[in-house]
Amino acid sequence: MRLSALLYDKKIRDLIYQVAVLGGLVATGVYFVRNASENMVKAGIASGFDFLGRTSGIDVPFVLTNYQPSDSILALFWAGVANTLFVSLIAMVLATVLGFLIGLARLSNHWLLSTLAGGYIEFVRNIPLLFFVLFWYFGVIAALPQPRESIGFFGIAFLNNRGLTVPATESLSAFGWALIAILIATLAHWTYARVAKARKEATGQDAPVMLVGLVLLIGVPVLALVVASIATQWSIPALRGFNYRGGFVIIPEFVALLAALVTYTAGFIAEIVRGGIQAVVKGQREASYALGLTRGQTLRLIIIPQAMRVMIPPMTSQYLNVLKNSSFGAAIAYPDIVSLFMGSALNNTGQAIEIIAMTLAVYLVIGLAVSALMNVYNENTKLVTR
Amino acid sequence: MMPATPSTFRRWQARLFSTPLQGAITLVILAALTVAAVPLIRWALINATWQGTTRADCVPGGACWVFVKARFLQFMVGFYPEAERWRAGLWALLAALALIALIKAPAKHRGSVALGVVVLLPSLGIWLLAGGYGLKPVETRDWGGLMLTMFISIHAAFIAIPLGILLALGRQSKLPVIRLISILFIEFWRGVPIIAVIFLASLLLPLIMPSGVGVDRLARAIIGLGLVIAAYMAEAVRGGLQALPSGQAEAATALGLGYWRATRLIILPQALRISLPAMTNEFIALIKNTTLVLVVSILDLLGVAQASIADPNWVGMSMEAFAFSGALYWLICFAISRWSLATEASLARATER
Repeated sequence: MRLSALLYDKKIRDLIYQVAVLGGLVATGVYFVRNASENMVKAGIASGFDFLGRTSGIDVPFVLTNYQPSDSILALFWAGVANTLFVSLIAMVLATVLGFLIGLARLSNHWLLSTLAGGYIEFVRNIPLLFFVLFWYFGVIAALPQPRESIGFFGIAFLNNRGLTVPATESLSAFGWALIAILIATLAHWTYARVAKARKEATGQDAPVMLVGLVLLIGVPVLALVVASIATQWSIPALRGFNYRGGFVIIPEFVALLAALVTYTAGFIAEIVRGGIQAVVKGQREASYALGLTRGQTLRLIIIPQAMRVMIPPMTSQYLNVLKNSSFGAAIAYPDIVSLFMGSALNNTGQAIEIIAMTLAVYLVIGLAVSALMNVYNENTKLVTR
Repeated sequence: MMPATPSTFRRWQARLFSTPLQGAITLVILAALTVAAVPLIRWALINATWQGTTRADCVPGGACWVFVKARFLQFMVGFYPEAERWRAGLWALLAALALIALIKAPAKHRGSVALGVVVLLPSLGIWLLAGGYGLKPVETRDWGGLMLTMFISIHAAFIAIPLGILLALGRQSKLPVIRLISILFIEFWRGVPIIAVIFLASLLLPLIMPSGVGVDRLARAIIGLGLVIAAYMAEAVRGGLQALPSGQAEAATALGLGYWRATRLIILPQALRISLPAMTNEFIALIKNTTLVLVVSILDLLGVAQASIADPNWVGMSMEAFAFSGALYWLICFAISRWSLATEASLARATER
């Protein structure tokens, strides 16, 4: 009698359900792990992370770190991470710019412009990203001319079917100084904007924040970069025989992957931009005009802050998508983390479990970090209600 | 006075040339369009070759659609043996009938129809395509093309949709252990690239099975895709669950329905209706991501197109192959998204009072 009463008690039942589910999962997990270890012993595959210290011997065509084939497999791992981050970051910036332009064009009053932007969005969203990657690589880049007939850009950069050759420099010290100058200017602008805002709130006096911002945030960086590039010794690529010597070769795989990521992601970002701006109700704009704010002020103070609140979460997930989608480079052998580590290193060592875990951890760690940052941001910009 | 219906000319004038600035923008765009579109049309239509059987029949400077014609069946079914291709056609018919049955079934019977489709289509379909029991066996290595794209998408969806619904319910559950497991599962699969998951499935699935039990290459890819899409489906369903007023669950409980009966009869029918557009988007994403099976050498539609470029008899046909396969992907995904919009609108009308 007591027992049946216990069985019908809600708390006890909930506990039984949870223990049963957990037990089932653990049992399945143990079963799989036992099979795996048996299979690995049979196949003679080692386990543990000792392989990371071994010499990799893998030649990487595009390296940003100091990696050499004589280095360890761990160094190969970091070279892959660097390549993944490099292409993702550039793709994020370019896709944001293109996506904003297309999103604003979609919202334009101009019928043809808006229709064209809509057509672009419908076009890229309904075609697989891998299609674009292969198309750029095998369709466009492969069709580019031989090095001898390269397409030149102002005589310093050359595009051909072996990639994009750009000027390179041995020493980056001048750019280090430029970076410091830019950081100082940014900090100065931030301080100035805060002081100006405090003064405006206290006294109502306006300060030329826009003008100062223009000088500090655009003028100073441009000047610093120009001075740095003049002060640096450049190696300009030049045609020698059948190929270019000097400069830095951006491999065709990078160009194709970047082009595909940017054109594809821009279609999604454009929709986010459109949705964000349309989410700001018309009354906000009208009320702002009624209060006597100018068009520029309305956009800057009323529309954009509210649109940003709607846009930031989906934009974050698009950025994380770009990071994950940069792995599509593995299909055309761009040396990213998946292709270098899950591909080459795994082939050499056979240690599937460790390598898969490390590769996935890269994406999960970055994803968690970005989500955490976004949560902080969301807390700060959340609509304050009663 | 404005006429009640402005003439077509006036309407276009207002659209394109209402102010000098607008007119200038129009002219710039039209000029750019002409520069881009004229060579394209000349290549694709005017200078294109439609008749013939070999590469020699094609005129240089135009598209060689003869190539697509000659390889059409390969784009559809890959390297499926010629004598058995009727089976692929029959499977396509079966799949189409199953989908129509799902869409047209009256709401009352939709659950049982769905159950029937989920049980019958895979079992009948796999028998039809793989053979055995009276049919000539065809290895999955020989499957390919559009057929394989649809096969993978449909079967991965059969894993993803039920699992996704369970995970979404688990994430909303009041039981902490169930909720935690669901969240971990969803966030893990959503956080990793699908290409890595396909590698993972093809490497790990044979490893964790007892020795002697093999897992087919194609099955590995489908399971991998199914698990990832399940996590995305779960988030789509969660949207519907969260949009449902909590009064629905409370009223069901007050009427004496237990958790599973309330979920089956009250919560899910309403939540799934709200989630349908998001779930359709995930299905479109699944069709697009199916292309990633290329990295484990399974040739779906894009894979066949890619492989056909390397054919020595048809050198230089990359643009034709890309144009044809890209147009097919676009048509399929665009049609599904339009269907989803129409369904959403009709559901909205049906629930209006």
